[in-house]
Amino acid sequence: MYSDKLETLFKKNKIEIGDKIKINNKGKLLEGILMPRPELGDNNIIVIKLNNGYNIGITLDEKGTVEKLVEHTKEEFSFPKIKSVENLKNNNRISLLYTGGTIGSKIDYVTGGVYMLTKPEELLHEVPELKEIASIDVKNLMSIASEDVSYFDWQKMAEGTAEAFNSGAKGVVITHGTDTMHYTSAALSFMLKDIKGPVVLTGAQRSSDRGSSDAFMNLICASNIAANTDIRHVGICMHATHSDDYCNFIKGTKARKMHTSSRDAFKSINARILAKVYQNGKIEVLEKIDEIEKTKNKTVANTKFEPKVGLVISYPDSDPGILEYYNKKGFKGVIIEGTGLGHTPVSTSHKEYNWLSSIKDATSSGMVIGITSQCINGRVNGNVYRNGRLMQEMGAVYCEDMLPEVAYVKLGFLLGNYNKKETERLLPINIAGEITKKTDVEIDE
Amino acid sequence: MTKDFDYEKLGFKCGLEIHQRLSTKHKLFCKCLANYFNDIQIKRIERRQRAVAGELGKIDKATSFESKKNRVFNYQIFEKSSCLVDIDEEPPHIPNIEALRSSLSICTSFNCEIPDEIQVMRKGVVDGSDPSAFQRTMLVGYDGKIVVENKDIPISTIFLEEESSGIVKNTEEYVEYSLDRLGIPLIEIDTDPVIKTPQEAKRVSMEIGLLLRLTNTAQRGIGSIRQDVNISIKNGSRVEIKGFQELDSMDQIIDSEIERQLNLISVISELKERNAKVETAINITDIFKHTKATLIENQLKQNGVVIGAKLSGFRGIIGKNLTNDLRLGTELSDYAKSSGIKGIIHSDEDMDKYGITKKELEEINKKLELGENDAFVIIAEKKDKAVYGMELALERARMAMVGVPSETRGADSKKLNTRFLRPMSGKSRMYPETDILPIEKYQVLKEFKPEKIDVEKIKNTLKDEIKNPQLAEQMLWSKDLQLYRKIINFVDISPTIVSSILLEKTKELRRAGVDVEKINEDTYLEIFKEYANGSIVKTAIGEIMSLVPKSPDDVHNIIKQRSLSRIKGKDLEKLVKSFNIDDKTKLLKEIMSKYRMNIEGDELNYLINKKGS
Repeated sequence: MYSDKLETLFKKNKIEIGDKIKINNKGKLLEGILMPRPELGDNNIIVIKLNNGYNIGITLDEKGTVEKLVEHTKEEFSFPKIKSVENLKNNNRISLLYTGGTIGSKIDYVTGGVYMLTKPEELLHEVPELKEIASIDVKNLMSIASEDVSYFDWQKMAEGTAEAFNSGAKGVVITHGTDTMHYTSAALSFMLKDIKGPVVLTGAQRSSDRGSSDAFMNLICASNIAANTDIRHVGICMHATHSDDYCNFIKGTKARKMHTSSRDAFKSINARILAKVYQNGKIEVLEKIDEIEKTKNKTVANTKFEPKVGLVISYPDSDPGILEYYNKKGFKGVIIEGTGLGHTPVSTSHKEYNWLSSIKDATSSGMVIGITSQCINGRVNGNVYRNGRLMQEMGAVYCEDMLPEVAYVKLGFLLGNYNKKETERLLPINIAGEITKKTDVEIDE
Repeated sequence: MTKDFDYEKLGFKCGLEIHQRLSTKHKLFCKCLANYFNDIQIKRIERRQRAVAGELGKIDKATSFESKKNRVFNYQIFEKSSCLVDIDEEPPHIPNIEALRSSLSICTSFNCEIPDEIQVMRKGVVDGSDPSAFQRTMLVGYDGKIVVENKDIPISTIFLEEESSGIVKNTEEYVEYSLDRLGIPLIEIDTDPVIKTPQEAKRVSMEIGLLLRLTNTAQRGIGSIRQDVNISIKNGSRVEIKGFQELDSMDQIIDSEIERQLNLISVISELKERNAKVETAINITDIFKHTKATLIENQLKQNGVVIGAKLSGFRGIIGKNLTNDLRLGTELSDYAKSSGIKGIIHSDEDMDKYGITKKELEEINKKLELGENDAFVIIAEKKDKAVYGMELALERARMAMVGVPSETRGADSKKLNTRFLRPMSGKSRMYPETDILPIEKYQVLKEFKPEKIDVEKIKNTLKDEIKNPQLAEQMLWSKDLQLYRKIINFVDISPTIVSSILLEKTKELRRAGVDVEKINEDTYLEIFKEYANGSIVKTAIGEIMSLVPKSPDDVHNIIKQRSLSRIKGKDLEKLVKSFNIDDKTKLLKEIMSKYRMNIEGDELNYLINKKGS
């Protein structure tokens, strides 16, 4: 919005955003299209798009005038509506569930920011290669940024996926924002039972309105995994390197976003990647998955979830009072991202920093306390140091090589379905690929 | 040699775009070192790009043209001069304030208005020269002027933008770029199309270059300044000619472009008279089953095909010279090559050159049903490429029947002509850079006042300082003007001597094979200091300059090792006495022949004559 003074001036001259105007200021004439005022910056500055395409801002002086030249013509470009992509070369049929995120982001010429597409058509329009891979049924589930995703949305995605498999899809692709993609992939891993093929989450680090976006290859590779493999697993398919050469398909319970902006941000932690998918369609399956058996049962989405679970981090001088806070708010469990092998301060010189009694109070009042490590790589172990042993004595559960975010999601899933005792039993046991039996020496990708 | 055109009658119009790299420490949108070209390569990545719809939903003509080529781009990544911003894996940082200030100084000197708010835009680029597929650019000045030979040349706009990356390799499979150059601040200065002759274009380019140098913000060296020229003539088309590295041949290349357009215009009526028509291409691979034409044979071995198309009425016209070593056939071929094919064969060429036999030629004529006035184009390649290449070649042939296409062309300073690069790009390539907030003018000008360069004043100062008017004029235009100013500011020395050394001595040494470009600013300062404090004589300056590029030693050591110290005062008296020659002239000659590098002639002369008196 422009300042009141300018808005009045525009109104008086019947000027609207998008009109071609002439500005006469300090003896200089300027012509251009009146652009909307960006939210930030001085709202007394008029922004116009010049004939050469550049936007500039002008402060009108006392004697300056504006005049309307040409009325704004509404010329909206619309993409052909696509409900599905039909492929005639093979019988592969997959589903694409659209949820928003950068992969479906576009520049908003009104606010100057990036907004989420509400229709996936535009995205598919820009990746014509998809029709070579499979027939694709497109469903628009939601259009949100991944930092806004909640367990309600996980439930919708799980249900959408089950529905897709039960209607005959060979695989399912879910386009998703990258920030919390690994939380969603973990949630779907726990919620979905008897999936018939791959559930592939994919997204982009740079929006698809730029020619260099990683969205195109990610979408092609994800569709290839969904259409052409039998990996019955939920996973994340994104760029493996800085190059546009191949993507990694990473187990949904072992993936983590490890970089804020790089296109190879997703890494497989404490596990081998499932497969490599090349731009040209070549697929190398690296890890045999035998955890999820093929059954004739229908795919079921068990979406029960306990939202009153928390994830906290311990660090030097961290206040254990955070557990009391959650306890008072009626939380059923908390995952602690501990230091090293899975520690919190317990034998501190100043007792206000000692977590031991807080952990005890939490567990004895019915909360589940799970321990993971902020080292991310490696397995926790509560038996090595006295401090760890004390924490176990107070009822804390050590969560093996499970990632903190995955443990958090798993805790919510377990508490949604089981009581405290069963939850504590299942937390350190593998149910969806989140815990490995052995820690490999080195993971080569 | 320039041609003898009546430019006014031709309706010749010309505008310039001057691109100049700024000499900032860092790049425009990150903290990578700028202008650092000796960096260590640490990685190479591979990328693909595609055309996406712009702000108005339309895909720009030039953008989709490049993208259709479906090329793979490789990028060399360097240790200190490239980062994630360069490869579009990190949002841009806030704009470089040093570059912004420099750009506003330049705007001030070109009498431009500066917008109260500057908005960074993205300009779509799909030739791969930018890994993000767009170049960041902002309009920093408008409505300015420069006076050249008493005529106002309006400066319509000045932009501050990112330099593109440098092309390293262009193969059939990929194009490779190096990222050390990408993102260096670059200034673009555009004039209105008011230039009336090619000679004036050259003159205006020189004056703009001069003013840029005088602002002390420009980077020196090869490739740091580039000129693009927009020209049009009546009944022709607007053509942008890129890549003038040197100004010497600018007028001749512009003349050649005029000649090309004039000949293309006359081609239109010739083709009309002949009822020319471009037919569809057909597969003629059969003709070449047993061919000995190497080019075709090789393609067929690799499962390629041969396709041919009839161009009714084109015979003789494809091969006709349009301008310096350029024919319509060259244009067809340049268009076709955009598809990645190696080239075309057309009927106005000598078939023996390719090893195509008379019999094969007859079969081509028969199969394509060629009449007396008809020509053909054939392409041997893999099928997809051949079809796309042919589509482009035929498109160009069709254009020949209606006019001169509006294009971006490249200047060839060897052949003195211009070659097709891509269709002229349109307006829909611009959209706002959403990762950067608008820049307010007053923020840039906080604690900084741009200085307006007054060329006349600088000219007059030089005339006062340098006693030789010719040297003063030369100094003004020299790339070493900044160096000259630095030397006379730091060293108490005659400006005439400094200018004569920087202009004449360097020329003389260069001719003698000395690599004077290797002498850096500090070394010059050292040498002139030694001279100013009387440690060496004037003759020794040139001697030291010839030794520096080959020697690992500093100036001080060179003087010592080569015995170049000045002999003066008492030492000189002693030396004169030791010569024991009575004839003054003979004595002077004898001493100077031995100690030319150590004795200042005037001092010796004075001493000998005093001695005698």
